Amino acid sequence: MESSQNQFSEWLNKQIHSSNSGAFALSPELRATSLSVLDAGVFPNRKNEEWRYTPLREILSQSPVLADKTQINPALIAAFKEAVPNALHLVFVDGEFSNEFSGSISALDKTGLTIEHISTLHGESRKRAEDTIRQSSLSDDNIFQHISLGLSRSGLFIEIQKNHEVDRIVHILHLSTKSESRNFSNPVHVVRVSENSHMQLLEQYASIDAGKALSVPAVYIEVADGAGLDHFKIGLESNQSDHVSNTVVQVASSGVYKSHQYLLGSRLTRANLEVIFSGAGAQASLRGIYLGNADQHLDIRTFMDHAFPHCSSDQHFRGIMNDQSRGVFNGMVLVRRDAQKTDALQSNKNLLLSREARVDTKPQLEIYADDVKCAHGATVGELDKDALFYLQSRGIEKAEAKLMLTRAFAAEITQEIEIETLRSYVQDRISNLLDGVHASNV
Amino acid sequence: MLSIKNLQVSVEDKPILRGLNLEVNPGEIHAIMGPNGSGKSTLAHVLAGREGYRIDGGSAYYKGINLLELAPEIRAREGMFLAFQYPIEIPGVNNTSFLKKALNEIRKHRGEEELDAIDFLDLIKKQMKLVEMKEDLLKRPVNQGFSGGEKKRNEILQMAVLNPLLAILDETDSGLDIDALRIVAGGVNKLRTKDNAFVVITHYQRLLDYIVPDFVHVLSNGQIIKSGNKDLALELEERGYDWLLDKAETRD
Ligand SMILES: Nc1ncnc2c1ncn2[C@@H]1O[C@H](COP(=O)(O)OP(=O)(O)OP(=O)(O)O)[C@@H](O)[C@H]1O
Ligand SMILES: [Mg+2]
Repeated sequence: MESSQNQFSEWLNKQIHSSNSGAFALSPELRATSLSVLDAGVFPNRKNEEWRYTPLREILSQSPVLADKTQINPALIAAFKEAVPNALHLVFVDGEFSNEFSGSISALDKTGLTIEHISTLHGESRKRAEDTIRQSSLSDDNIFQHISLGLSRSGLFIEIQKNHEVDRIVHILHLSTKSESRNFSNPVHVVRVSENSHMQLLEQYASIDAGKALSVPAVYIEVADGAGLDHFKIGLESNQSDHVSNTVVQVASSGVYKSHQYLLGSRLTRANLEVIFSGAGAQASLRGIYLGNADQHLDIRTFMDHAFPHCSSDQHFRGIMNDQSRGVFNGMVLVRRDAQKTDALQSNKNLLLSREARVDTKPQLEIYADDVKCAHGATVGELDKDALFYLQSRGIEKAEAKLMLTRAFAAEITQEIEIETLRSYVQDRISNLLDGVHASNV
Repeated sequence: MLSIKNLQVSVEDKPILRGLNLEVNPGEIHAIMGPNGSGKSTLAHVLAGREGYRIDGGSAYYKGINLLELAPEIRAREGMFLAFQYPIEIPGVNNTSFLKKALNEIRKHRGEEELDAIDFLDLIKKQMKLVEMKEDLLKRPVNQGFSGGEKKRNEILQMAVLNPLLAILDETDSGLDIDALRIVAGGVNKLRTKDNAFVVITHYQRLLDYIVPDFVHVLSNGQIIKSGNKDLALELEERGYDWLLDKAETRD
């Protein structure tokens, strides 16, 4: 175990001392702290409450590679753009930005949108991007964040000027290609939505030809006063890929942040989403589904930090676990002393479709203010027998009835996706995965 | 059409139906009345194929087929329909697409062509008029947030669309206001032909003013203790069940 764990640590060490240090995306000052964390090389283990249910053994026992420029057939890319056909597609292949497959990145367009590579930022824009990162303190300051910050070579800085509605969806698409070893990518993205502006962002991770990958992305978001961001994340990586992500969102006064996460692929995913209210009257709504087959491990952690009054947050996460898959929901709502009139809701419902499937759910609520409205709850169960019988009694076969009810369980979350193409994309992926599930269970 | 002989059923080792006999022929309407807990819903559920019941003895044949061996969906496809006493809410499953799916499964089974979206919409609109149901209920998930009466109308709408050969209505009149009662009964009467049959479970003689039964049975303690024509319902209305129960006990 010790020696196999070294594989990944050793590899990281080599990256730290890589001769090609000029290629790193962030400034030496910002990287310095992260490099010292990486030097210490301490990975969380089962004794760490936040990582209790997350097995890192496989990740630590392998050394990934930085892929060489890979040629891919452009025809293969089209399918990955289906979710949002008219979006501004920003495509990364094995961690590297692809000019070939991406829309043009231009300075300030008429909708107030600027997109730049983090690695080439300078002056004020570098300062703003790095300030956003600096202000984003993770409650779970894990080493994976520092793998992104300390060693990232790529990522985007997306910024919207004040008082703009960005009419095109921004689609960041991460693809990994087939290779002998695991392709490593650790992008850092920074998104700033300025006062009274609004945009929609889709972050998608997928594999081409069942490629293997280890992705360690970090995303830092600021939603300014009165601004809004609709943020979607879809994980559809191959079952030989692992994904450990950290997302930190700061929402200022009267800002509105909406998140949808669909974890539908990979061997192991650990998605950490932390939302911090940095002003009064802000709102956050977090939605998510994790759907596992075979021996997948899908793991969502949320941390909702209420530090200001009159803010509201609601969370609805659902797990659908089949075969020997394992789901984890670990959600914390922290209501600090000054956060009077907080309205916070957190709900986690899980459906176990097989006897070997398992879910660990840990909804937590910590309240230090007295005038608040908070509720949370979690359930783990099977399909409702009475509902099954009702459908059967109308002529619908049992297997089909199960499928309908499972789809319906997911649809209660997905139906909130307002972008029609995206909604059907997600619902179709879920249906396809469930077809397999129920065929194996009949 | 339906022939039940000496049917004995228990739930969790507790005998509920204790030697029940019933014959239903095409074109007939049977009413089943009886005290709370006497086993009326149990009978309906067993006939529809719900799990959780143990058959201890007796038989139930439908169109000459051993009903008790059929999966619930096959019974439905063979023309059986149960209007539930407590229709369940099914979040996330759209009322219309559910009913379209159900109808097409049944049509496939009968060797008929499946209805496309347009033909189905025509049919459902026509049948909705029959039960005077509000159109927006079609867009909602099955029964979700429906009032008690709306749920019952939805059951009758499903019956009207699926057009069963044998329909069992378990207290469809309970929770209906007097207008709704008339509408639901009117629906049943319009669907009635010389080939289909209805078993109507009810506590109220009132319903039988609208749906006139050929036979009235009293189910008590898991057995049919008395059968008669529609006048029996009037007598029960007047006298209650006590006089029958006393007789049944002395007979034991
Ligand atoms: N799943 C169950 N577990 C235990 N007992 C049950 C179950 N289902 C039914 N019973 C019992 O069986 C008996 C008959 O119930 P049933 O629902 O058939 O009565 P009913 O005649 O329909 O009554 P009502 O007029 O109140 O609707 C009751 O005593 C009931 O408690
Ligand atoms: Mg009953």
